[in-house]
Amino acid sequence: MKKIKAGRQPNRSLAGDIGVAIVLIIFGCFFIFPLVYIINGAFKPLDELFVFPPKLFVRNPTTKNISDLFLLMNKMGNITFIRYAFNSLLITVVGTGGHILVASMAAYVLAKYRFPGSATFFKLVTVALMFTGYVLSIPNYLIMTRLGWIDTHLALIIPAFASPMGLFLMKQFMESSIPDVLIEAAKIDGAKEGRIFFRIIMPLVKPAILTLMIFSIQALWNNIGTTYIYTESLKTLPFALRTLASGGIARTGVSSASQLFMMILPVTCFMLAQSNIVETMASSGIKE
Amino acid sequence: MAKTVKHKNLAKGNAIAGYLFIAPFIIGFVLFLVVPLFESFYMSLCKVTSTNGAGFAYKFIGMKNYHDVFFKDAEYVPNLLTELKNMALFVPAILVFSFFMAILLNQDFKGRTFVRAVYFLPVVLSSGIMLGLETNNSLLSGMADIIKKDNSATSITKTLENILLTGEKANTFFEYIIKLVDQVYDVAIASGIQIIIFLSGLQTISPSMYEAAKIEGCTAWESFWKITFPMISSMILVNVVYTIVDFCTKSNSDLMTLITNTLFVKFDYGLTAAMSWVYFVIIMGILGIISFIITRWVYYYD
Repeated sequence: MKKIKAGRQPNRSLAGDIGVAIVLIIFGCFFIFPLVYIINGAFKPLDELFVFPPKLFVRNPTTKNISDLFLLMNKMGNITFIRYAFNSLLITVVGTGGHILVASMAAYVLAKYRFPGSATFFKLVTVALMFTGYVLSIPNYLIMTRLGWIDTHLALIIPAFASPMGLFLMKQFMESSIPDVLIEAAKIDGAKEGRIFFRIIMPLVKPAILTLMIFSIQALWNNIGTTYIYTESLKTLPFALRTLASGGIARTGVSSASQLFMMILPVTCFMLAQSNIVETMASSGIKE
Repeated sequence: MAKTVKHKNLAKGNAIAGYLFIAPFIIGFVLFLVVPLFESFYMSLCKVTSTNGAGFAYKFIGMKNYHDVFFKDAEYVPNLLTELKNMALFVPAILVFSFFMAILLNQDFKGRTFVRAVYFLPVVLSSGIMLGLETNNSLLSGMADIIKKDNSATSITKTLENILLTGEKANTFFEYIIKLVDQVYDVAIASGIQIIIFLSGLQTISPSMYEAAKIEGCTAWESFWKITFPMISSMILVNVVYTIVDFCTKSNSDLMTLITNTLFVKFDYGLTAAMSWVYFVIIMGILGIISFIITRWVYYYD
């Protein structure tokens, strides 16, 4: 699996290859540990969850945790599980789509053009990255009240559009991976700005877009959102799961099942997109 | 990096298109970040009380909140110092680790895609799940207990630590290393994005450069320092900024907990705002200095 193809690099010794493989495997284990732990935890029967010292792998796998989760879900009153899932999905899909579009449009301009104020604006964005969310929560609440967005999904979706981290990463990717010559060539051929952006730039930065997508999905999908939303039928899935899981020590099984549950969407998206994210970002369309 | 399309008659058209493209972001940015930012600054100068409705009443009290942050709150300054110390420790470690990992992952070997995917996993799992996992995870706390127990007796690392620390050259350097080894897991988990950024940077370096260098008789060591390092220097800047930001805004540090508690437990909005602003300004200063230094030797290849 992680074996080095021997002879690929003739100037490196076998010992070097083995060393690299060992380092990669050790740290690979670190990285994969949480995933393995969550998956195993969801299938552990209650007595195994409390074993000390804890075991990583499950001995007698059971689906009781998961069926308990659904059982509790159905008991929760008149709001169905599907409704919570739909709310979260809506917020995630619209928020992510909007964020990618808005951030890449702004990033394209900042990366490839100079106009009055562009440099200052980017500096401002970098500064804004550093500010912690908690303090902004009250002023943000006041703004939402003024806009009349309290208790609507807009309050969760729209602010996600203008998240500065997306712009920051996108601009850096565009700056380093799109040659100016390409844009000039398109201009000479008569392409307008909109066309250049959607037909040339966006396909080229696909890996960066997918990376951003993962970020955004992961942030929005885990959004509890109770600050702005009070109507039960508008609340999100993480909120519902958290409520279920917080029922004391007897709910430990349910809680570990819900962790697995929350993980499914981001991990699936990542699996689908991963070859694009982690494979080459060097395909700039111009051969040297 | 010459980004500008330099024809003068085009410049005006460019500006208009530019503003159009950037307008949605600016609107959102101003509305949801700049305005709240100023509002929170104003709050930090006020005594804020929530009135019975949905509103808040401000009473201007000048710099009193800031005075309280430094002289009245017993925990803030020590927490801040610990946080900065940790940052000085973690940020270089994360950068070196991710750079090293990126170079390894940039090699050609079987199953490369799979290994890279594994290294990106923490990013996917982060925030919600990971934080939950780390705070209420019986396994990790169990492991910590075992390690602690071991350390009080005679474990190898502890003995080694003692030997190193009691030696003549026992100094901060060893403490730094030991602390790093203790927290290698934290470092590894926090470097997912940085690895990807470095990796994408490494892949933009044209192989023909290495070939040319090889023909000229460069050793691999030389081409690393003369080609790889300068070519990736802009990515180093990106990663430094990203790492510092990521580190100082993560929500599970003591300082963050203090700030959150002031907000949600004590309901002292003014004081919270002041605390955040102090932190914000300090981080900004650090970031400004560091990026100023790095920008001076970042090499842009045209």
